[in-house]
Amino acid sequence: MNSNPTNSTPANGRRYWRSLDELADQPEFKDWLHREFPVGASELVEDGQSRRNFLKIMSASFAFAGIATLGAGCRRPEEKLEPFGKQPENYTFGDVQYFATAMPTRIGAIPLVVKSYEGRPVKIEGNSLYPGSNGSTDRYAQASILDLYDPDRARHFKHDGKVVSREEALGFLDELSKKFAANSGEGLAFLAESSTSPSRARLQKIIADKFPKSKWFTYDAIDSGIHQRAATQAFGQSVKPVFNFDKAKVILSLDCDFLGGEDDSHNHIRKFAAGRKAEQGMSRLYAVESLFTLTGASADHRLRVPASRIFEIAKAISTMLSHLHETGNPLGQSAQCNIEGVDSNWVSECAKDLVANAGKVLVVAGQRQPLEVHLLAHTINSLLDSIGNTVGLIPTNAVATGLEGFDLDAIDTLVVLGGNPVYHLTATAKPKNVVRLGYYEDETAQKCDWNFPAAHYLESWSDATTSDGTVVAVQPLIQPLFGGLPELEFLARVAGESPTSAHEIVRGTFGGSEEDWKKFLFNGFANGTAGKSETLSFQAAVPAVQSVATSGSNLEVIFYRDSKVDDGRYANNGWMQELPDPVTKMTWDNAVLISRKTARELGVANGDIVEISLNGKSVKGPIWTQPGMADYSLGLALGYGRERAGRVGNSVGFNAYKIFSGKYIENGATIKKTGETHVLACTQHHWSMEGRPAVREANLEEFLKEPEFAQEKFHGVEPPVVQSLYANPLDEAKKTALHQWGMTVDLNACVGCGTCVVACQSENNIPIVGKDQVLRGREMHWMRIDRYFTSDPKRKNNSSRFSLSADMNQTDENQQFAEWIDDVQAVNQPMLCQQCESAPCESVCPVAATVHDQEGLNVMAYNRCIGTRYCSNNCPYKVRRFNFLDYNKRPLTELKGTIYSTTLTHKTDGVWDLLRWWKNPDSGMRSEDEWDLIKLSKNPDVTVRMRGVMEKCTYCTQRIEHAKISQKAKAGASDNVRLSEAAGTIPKTACQQACPAGAIVFGDVSDANSSVSKLKLSPLNYSVLGNLLTKPRTTYLARVRNPNPAMPDYHDPFSTEEFESQSLTPKGNS
Amino acid sequence: MIFPKWTNSLPLVLGVVAALAGAAIVPAVTIYLTPKYTRAGYQPVQPVPFSHNIHAGQLGVDCRYCHNGVEKSWFANLPGASTCMNCHSLVLKDDPRLAIVRDSAANNTPIPWVQVHKVPDYVYFNHSVHVDRGISCVKCHGRVDQMDEVRHDKSFSMSFCLDCHRNPAANIRPTDKVTKLDWQWSTNAAEAEHLQDVNGKKFVHDWKVESLTSCSACHR
Repeated sequence: MNSNPTNSTPANGRRYWRSLDELADQPEFKDWLHREFPVGASELVEDGQSRRNFLKIMSASFAFAGIATLGAGCRRPEEKLEPFGKQPENYTFGDVQYFATAMPTRIGAIPLVVKSYEGRPVKIEGNSLYPGSNGSTDRYAQASILDLYDPDRARHFKHDGKVVSREEALGFLDELSKKFAANSGEGLAFLAESSTSPSRARLQKIIADKFPKSKWFTYDAIDSGIHQRAATQAFGQSVKPVFNFDKAKVILSLDCDFLGGEDDSHNHIRKFAAGRKAEQGMSRLYAVESLFTLTGASADHRLRVPASRIFEIAKAISTMLSHLHETGNPLGQSAQCNIEGVDSNWVSECAKDLVANAGKVLVVAGQRQPLEVHLLAHTINSLLDSIGNTVGLIPTNAVATGLEGFDLDAIDTLVVLGGNPVYHLTATAKPKNVVRLGYYEDETAQKCDWNFPAAHYLESWSDATTSDGTVVAVQPLIQPLFGGLPELEFLARVAGESPTSAHEIVRGTFGGSEEDWKKFLFNGFANGTAGKSETLSFQAAVPAVQSVATSGSNLEVIFYRDSKVDDGRYANNGWMQELPDPVTKMTWDNAVLISRKTARELGVANGDIVEISLNGKSVKGPIWTQPGMADYSLGLALGYGRERAGRVGNSVGFNAYKIFSGKYIENGATIKKTGETHVLACTQHHWSMEGRPAVREANLEEFLKEPEFAQEKFHGVEPPVVQSLYANPLDEAKKTALHQWGMTVDLNACVGCGTCVVACQSENNIPIVGKDQVLRGREMHWMRIDRYFTSDPKRKNNSSRFSLSADMNQTDENQQFAEWIDDVQAVNQPMLCQQCESAPCESVCPVAATVHDQEGLNVMAYNRCIGTRYCSNNCPYKVRRFNFLDYNKRPLTELKGTIYSTTLTHKTDGVWDLLRWWKNPDSGMRSEDEWDLIKLSKNPDVTVRMRGVMEKCTYCTQRIEHAKISQKAKAGASDNVRLSEAAGTIPKTACQQACPAGAIVFGDVSDANSSVSKLKLSPLNYSVLGNLLTKPRTTYLARVRNPNPAMPDYHDPFSTEEFESQSLTPKGNS
Repeated sequence: MIFPKWTNSLPLVLGVVAALAGAAIVPAVTIYLTPKYTRAGYQPVQPVPFSHNIHAGQLGVDCRYCHNGVEKSWFANLPGASTCMNCHSLVLKDDPRLAIVRDSAANNTPIPWVQVHKVPDYVYFNHSVHVDRGISCVKCHGRVDQMDEVRHDKSFSMSFCLDCHRNPAANIRPTDKVTKLDWQWSTNAAEAEHLQDVNGKKFVHDWKVESLTSCSACHR
């Protein structure tokens, strides 16, 4: 934890604490908001080097460059083309290849199709052949490809910290195997992460048979297995639940962040979105939670309670329902729950709604909740006939997890497979001998006697089982880059098995004919292996949980899986570090999330470093006030504060594992202000839409009454009718162009998970800029997800008319703690280049570097751009990104600091960079092996932009061109050159393909039968800032909420109310 | 008098010198700093004295026999040595000039050919779409079938690409004649020009050939 002295705190004390300042609306903040880039963004480096200094240095560089040019001559350097000696069959250089594989997760796997270019994987997509899949992934899968090319990966076999040869290391495994074969495994123990691999299970069985006295422990820092354990206990058989959110009409989430933090969320999002189509009857989501999660943001009704009181609410609902079940009486007025601080009507009306929809109800409990809450959820599901309808129960093998019986003294040799137990368990003692297979030389590796580098899943043969029980293939796309071992090979060697090749092990597990095997690898999954749901009845007793009332001196701590680094495994992944957290929009940090009321009571504000004490242990972290948090709860993301993650992930954030004891919800914490502060880098400081109708919403009832609610006549300013003197050249080009591209983004489907952002970064070679650059507003994501908080204007004061300009902006230091931010609604809006037909950016470019093509794309010619940034200044959507620095050449070590070296001042591998640059102008300030890896990781279809160039979304023009070229090459001497949706030749943009919700639809708007054309005719379709006459090609489908009119918190969407009170123009007819 | 008398004519002299210098520099830059000069004519020595003149010209081997990826990929691949050995395991079997090729085919070690034709990295040229749609190799590479050592024939400047992109009708030919480098509509130059004009326009219309001049056609 280090506070950064160079980002000093200005006079008002809270300059960096941006989000709530916006509400306070201080003049300098207002000014800041309305600037394209923060102050200082255009000054190169603040510390020590002014613009003038920079020019001095640059002129010296230019002089050197001039000499270099004279010496080297004008001719470009000679390059070699080296063809194969033996031409391989069925391979055309330059042709893209796709292979089916899967990314194993804790409780399943994500079926993937990976794009390979010249033998290296470059982009990960979901496998759309997989039954039920829409070809989507989650953000972790998208980012996992960067780990493959991580220069900080474990590269060597090591014994006692010294590099040993591969043969020597493998020889040691043979000895180990022989040693324990002799004493039937006495003193041998394994510590592994969860896995769904049938091959690993088979090897585990072989090991158990061969070394009967050995012990096997499965441990995950994030325990996703509780759903299976709870279902097994509830129904008396080893089963795991499959939640069918698409079949449910009413969903109740008991602190279950199934759209965000839970494993397998991409499946949940897909199913949830399928059940939320406004025209076809929407499901209703009730969320009871303490942290503000993506699920809460999507909920129609959200109840804010401490996580430790969820049991009481679940109990109250289940009691009401069993009463009904036993007596047959409908719930009357007598049905009450008496929980302090909870509106009893909320609970009883929710229960009534559940009863009214029996058979189509789904109650889910969060994985951080104790087993008892899960059992209650299953009780309610059973009472309301959900089992077999909305909840499938699939038979599965029982897995013992946890560390019960783990005794260090009894262990002679501990074999650690993956994971990072030293970091997760803050372990200090170690068994006599530790042998470890690990992907990084991390905290655990430091304490191990033997370290084996693990292969990435894109380098290994394996198999896995998805959450619905289907067996999927994990096949390698590339040889292990650093000779790492696949887990299966490592285990086979420990077991003394032969064959040791992971390929043969997987083949052996699969069995079947050669034809079946080929089909398995081609499809990536074995058809028909999905589990069949069983009908079982609930048969468990639910023990009671004593809940503790929380208060300022007895705080509740919630440890949650981070939406970016997971349990810490992606800490060294720059894409993940820089991805704004879907809820807080924070990058490169974690924080102590706290509610407004609690913060005020404890006298802390954003950025204040506090010491949290829990059960005699303590940790320090910065405060972040999160709207919508339950009072007296602290939210702590796990996975940060790594000491040996690598150059990217080291000492980012604070390590919440230090006070974590295995329980995700704990009471009895206290916090103490330390007086220090820490700067947090947030990408969205702007909470409110300022009453502008950027996101348009209505309740389902209003939508049914007035389907056109999102149109300008009700919701905004009608665009003026302007007769231009000049014709738009696009109108002429349209007549002959083959296609016209367009996109719709369905705000009703989008949950804001951020997968599209990472997919875009991966597809389009978007660089990582580092925390300091994010603070300066220089993040490079072409696509961002704007998350706005809205709240009931009436909660501010009791007058019927709420005026932002009058009341809300009256500044008062304390107004940032105003009560009404407690219960907020959130809306998410993916924002990318809108491809305006009359684009404001184009008309101001002095060099015509950004112009339209004939198909309606607003394209960027990077080589023409001279970096005036006029275009960005003139873009009303703020979607253009500028390369302030040469981010790709920046050393990894400088990502977190304020320093940006130049070739004049920096050395790499002990050689002065100017000398390295002299020898090779492409060298940059990174060591050679690192440089090779970064080249391998880039998408060859997209230019890697340099410093001084503007860039932005182009609807993945490289994919469009690829599709068009393929079609034309196929057409040859015929006119069959048009891409069409009917023929399946329309490309998908990276964001569209990755989106689990299917919220993004891209296609040809000149084809009346394309999905995008049909969606644009929907009454929900609207343009953001359409009144500016930019004519965006990207349009949005308005969001429809489905609240229950009987609920006490029923109201219009807050954003609509804010818009009405702000615009002072009453809505059309309501 | 501070300034001597000759300084009176100084502005004039300077003006004339500047004008002359300008007159020299402008053509010098346009001639010597454009790809027409910097690229065209480039003819490096290759590790194997392979003659396109003999193979493609005299023996009439089709371009696609060796460059077999040209219709499928953006890249017109160089053949693997195994392709050479299809013939040279029988013809000129022990010729010392082919030692590198035999070694490459036997040991799978690549032959380090020197790249002749190259567009900048920010240009995404695709062979397949040109070749499959009736643009002949000869349009960009010249008469390779008459070259012993391959020479960079055309400039490959942006205006070179645009000349054709603006007027594809003048350059398009039947798709089965693409690799016939000496093919003409007629031996009579005037008639050939007329036939090119008529048929070119017909192909452009019938095959829906676009005249792509927007940035996204080549730059991504």
